[in-house]
Amino acid sequence: MATDDDDILTGLVPDPDAEPTAAERAHAKTFAELVDKTLSGRTPPAMSADDRALLEVATVIRATSGGLPLAPAKQRDLIEDVLRQAVGVGGGAGTGTSSGAMPGVVPIERARARRWAPWIVAGASTLVAAAAVVTLWLRTPSRPSAPAPPVARAVPASWTSRPTDPLIGPIPRERAGDAGARIDYIFADRLDGFRERRWSPGEPGSRGGKR
Amino acid sequence: MASEPAGDQQQREELEEEQRQVSEAQQGNLDAMRPILERYARPLYGTVILPRLGDTASAEEVLRDTLATAVEKIRRFTWQGKSIYPWLRQIAINKVYDVHRQSKRSRRLADAMVHEVPVESDPQSHADAQLIADQERRAHRERIEVTMAQLQERYRTAIELRLVQELPREECARRLGVTIGTFDVLLFRAVRAFRKHFGERTAPGDFLGEHTSEERPS
Repeated sequence: MATDDDDILTGLVPDPDAEPTAAERAHAKTFAELVDKTLSGRTPPAMSADDRALLEVATVIRATSGGLPLAPAKQRDLIEDVLRQAVGVGGGAGTGTSSGAMPGVVPIERARARRWAPWIVAGASTLVAAAAVVTLWLRTPSRPSAPAPPVARAVPASWTSRPTDPLIGPIPRERAGDAGARIDYIFADRLDGFRERRWSPGEPGSRGGKR
Repeated sequence: MASEPAGDQQQREELEEEQRQVSEAQQGNLDAMRPILERYARPLYGTVILPRLGDTASAEEVLRDTLATAVEKIRRFTWQGKSIYPWLRQIAINKVYDVHRQSKRSRRLADAMVHEVPVESDPQSHADAQLIADQERRAHRERIEVTMAQLQERYRTAIELRLVQELPREECARRLGVTIGTFDVLLFRAVRAFRKHFGERTAPGDFLGEHTSEERPS
């Protein structure tokens, strides 16, 4: 009787004497090779879900028969790893600590302290920052000082704006080359304004009061 | 009978030593945990974790997690005049349960283990770690044997030769008087049948579920 290999886990299992299909034969060979590798300690990481399920059954049978004890070297490495991780000293799988010599025993208290150290620092920083914010928030405002002098006081318009148009007026084409004369005229006007501003008595910034 | 008091004496001394180690570990001496872990790593792996997972790589990982959790939470352990082993075993079973839950491999398996735990790890009903481990090992074997008894003779023999005695395929085929290819098919079917019968049991403590019950033993 030929069998259908479609449903490995839930399908009917044929009698031992039933003729296997080519597919079942191929699957059986694959599984046999998986068992081979597993028995020699080289279980492949990748396999089909069905094969994995069947291999787990095989492993359970072997384990229950006492065929799969934990290797002493493996056990030693595991324990070393666990203890190292517990104290926060390097660690990680495959650290090669099978010699069994664990360098120095670090008490759990210190390990715990190490584990909490970053949190303690972060907490302290947060507290300091919060205290600073609260201090700034609650600090009484400083006593109002004397009213500040006005930034700008009223000054004659000629001090802040001296347009040149009224001075020069329209420039006829024939006098376009007399720029030097015009500049001299403007300079004289500016100088006059400067003197007025500078030497007027009582005016801020002037020196008139001192003379 | 004369050896019984001596055995009791030795057991008592071992328990006292273990209590001292636990106490030291709880006070912060990490190195005191080492002999405890060395003593119980193997029974945890062989009788608690691996038979419930069926995968050596996962089992080693779960063992590592179990030991790490034990070291981390040793202060929470309360000495009750019994070995620390039931406590470790409980941690291991919880880890195994997590693995099954995460992988969703077998909801029934996970559920079954939840029911199983309080019964087998009751500290009042077990004298010491060795007894618990032996009892558990016997229970596993019994389950395997019950399932094996339901298999057809040729399937039983194939499993016995290849997975229990771990003989090479060629030798298994020779003993059964078949070709290697035929033996491969026999073993393949035998494991499938085993899995189905194993999963069909409904009593608490069953493991490796995820099955249908279409097939009945022939």
